[in-house]
Amino acid sequence: MTILLEVQGLSKNFGGLQVSSDISMSLKAGDRCALIGPNGAGKTTFVNLVTGVLPPTAGAIRLDGRDVTKLSAADRVRRGLIRSFQVARLFKSMTVREHMELAVLQRDRRTFRLFASVAKTAGLADEVAECLGLMGLGAAAETPVGSLAYGQQRLLEIALALAMRPKVLILDEPAAGVPHSESQRILDAIDRLPKDLAVLMIEHDMDLVSRFASSIVVLAQGKLLCSGATRDVMADPRVREVYLGSRANAH
Amino acid sequence: MSATMTDGLSKGTTGPMTRDTTALAAPRRDFGWLAAPITGALGLAAFWLFPEDLGLMTRIAATALYVLSLDLVLGYCGIATLGHAAMFGTGAYAAGIAAVHLVNDPLVLLLIGGAAGGVMALVTGGLILHARGLTLLMLTIAVTQIVQEVANKARDWTGGSDGLSGVDPAPLLGLFRFDMFGRTSYLFAVAVLVVGMVAARRIVRSPFGLACRGVKEDPLRISALGGSPRAYLVTMYAVAGIFAGVAGALTAVSSGIVGLDSVSFSWSAEALVMLVLGGTGRLYGAVIGTVAFMTVHHILAATDPFHWMLFIGLFLMGIVLFLPGGIASGGERLRALLARKGEGDQA
Ligand SMILES: Nc1ncnc2c1ncn2[C@@H]1O[C@H](COP(=O)(O)OP(=O)(O)OP(=O)(O)O)[C@@H](O)[C@H]1O
Ligand SMILES: [Mg+2]
Repeated sequence: MTILLEVQGLSKNFGGLQVSSDISMSLKAGDRCALIGPNGAGKTTFVNLVTGVLPPTAGAIRLDGRDVTKLSAADRVRRGLIRSFQVARLFKSMTVREHMELAVLQRDRRTFRLFASVAKTAGLADEVAECLGLMGLGAAAETPVGSLAYGQQRLLEIALALAMRPKVLILDEPAAGVPHSESQRILDAIDRLPKDLAVLMIEHDMDLVSRFASSIVVLAQGKLLCSGATRDVMADPRVREVYLGSRANAH
Repeated sequence: MSATMTDGLSKGTTGPMTRDTTALAAPRRDFGWLAAPITGALGLAAFWLFPEDLGLMTRIAATALYVLSLDLVLGYCGIATLGHAAMFGTGAYAAGIAAVHLVNDPLVLLLIGGAAGGVMALVTGGLILHARGLTLLMLTIAVTQIVQEVANKARDWTGGSDGLSGVDPAPLLGLFRFDMFGRTSYLFAVAVLVVGMVAARRIVRSPFGLACRGVKEDPLRISALGGSPRAYLVTMYAVAGIFAGVAGALTAVSSGIVGLDSVSFSWSAEALVMLVLGGTGRLYGAVIGTVAFMTVHHILAATDPFHWMLFIGLFLMGIVLFLPGGIASGGERLRALLARKGEGDQA
């Protein structure tokens, strides 16, 4: 299987604080990998480094065989590296429908059409309806995102990422803030994506992780603690200690 | 917490697992398209009602197009600028100089003005739009000062501080002469304004306009969708430059003169005042603001030559305090109020 994402020796310091240290990992086509670790382990920072939102202090990132370490976030997106945000990051005054339209138009590079009509763009309305239906957002299509329930904002966030036709998809805690009854929607929607893309999901909910992931990577204090097949990692005593243990204590 | 979220989620959906692709909510009604025909109709009505004031009304129509172009930049991209007169003035001078030396077909002059304004915006926008906030504001002011100084120094072409005169356009479409009562000028200006409103509305409702609204709210999120915020900003700046350039050319053609005040800081600031007065991000707010400001300005200046500035100030403060979204937001508030009242009556 081809390696789609390869991260080598990725490090990040904020001043004196080392938030990521020497992380290496890779994702192959078809991988369904979970990235877990306690709060503050540096998971979101890792995503920001990989997607180009933050510049790394050291290390290299290869996407589909090409070095993208120096590319901007937008360039990486155009090459198929798509992420969703842990905290929904949306355009408050736009409606749900407008978000989907923008994502699809941007993906197809049709946003420099100055005199075309969004409403009359061929195929757009159907695709938007399908994406929203998949996430159960159809009835909220005309609601401005600013007045949308938070759980629905999260689902929209994921719908946007899925619509971008990713090669590598990184979901930062997609189910956080989504009611339990709705989290299956997210897994269903991922199941409908082409099988050959790689998905990395950050998630605290172990039930969701075991349903989704075939492999797990564990981060603790900015370092790669261990990685491997889901069952092995979940049984690893070190993981139970730093991660499962600490969370069990916290609750 | 989770209970309220479940409520929010299940609202309107038939169940957690259904794929209700058919149940897309109906689009909201949008009456914005009425603005252009209403402007045209009121413009024609004013032609018969106030035949004495055609000169003023012509200036209002051309200025409305200028303020409309500022709305494209401020209202749809969030670019705060105090240098919009650079594009207006460039268009006015380009059309004026062309009229004196080259051609005098009014439509060709508008095209020249639009092209000049667009090129000026494209070049300066490409240079300054990496900046944001106050830095950007300073840079837009600086650009205007430079353009004004160039116009001042190039006396041979622009007439310097005396202004450029002798713009004498040929009959419109070869049929309608620009008469001494200003009838042709006025109708021409209203027609250009209406066309400008239709074009601007098309642009803001296009895929490009949608992307610009995204950049205005969160440029980083646009990058995460694969877009380049700067490319959108520069493009919209250039498009607005074309509109402003046409407005400048229209002023030159209809008044016959171009002065240094058309590239001044105060002309930039006045556009901002008129736009905020009418309401940003709606296009028709620009027209309402211009008509309101220039009419009040005219009436006050005529009735009380000594204190009119004071009254203009009070008028502006009143609007900003009581209608922070501009005059155009007044109608929307009224509608929201009536809708709420209607719901209350039903319950
Ligand atoms: N811009 C920043 N400047 C300084 N420190 C930062 C910055 N961003 C993150 N950190 C720190 O880096 C550490 C890792 O943060 P990060 O958000 O990556 O953790 P996380 O694993 O995603 O946690 P969570 O599970 O809570 O989402 C934290 O201690 C955080 O305070
Ligand atoms: Mg995080």
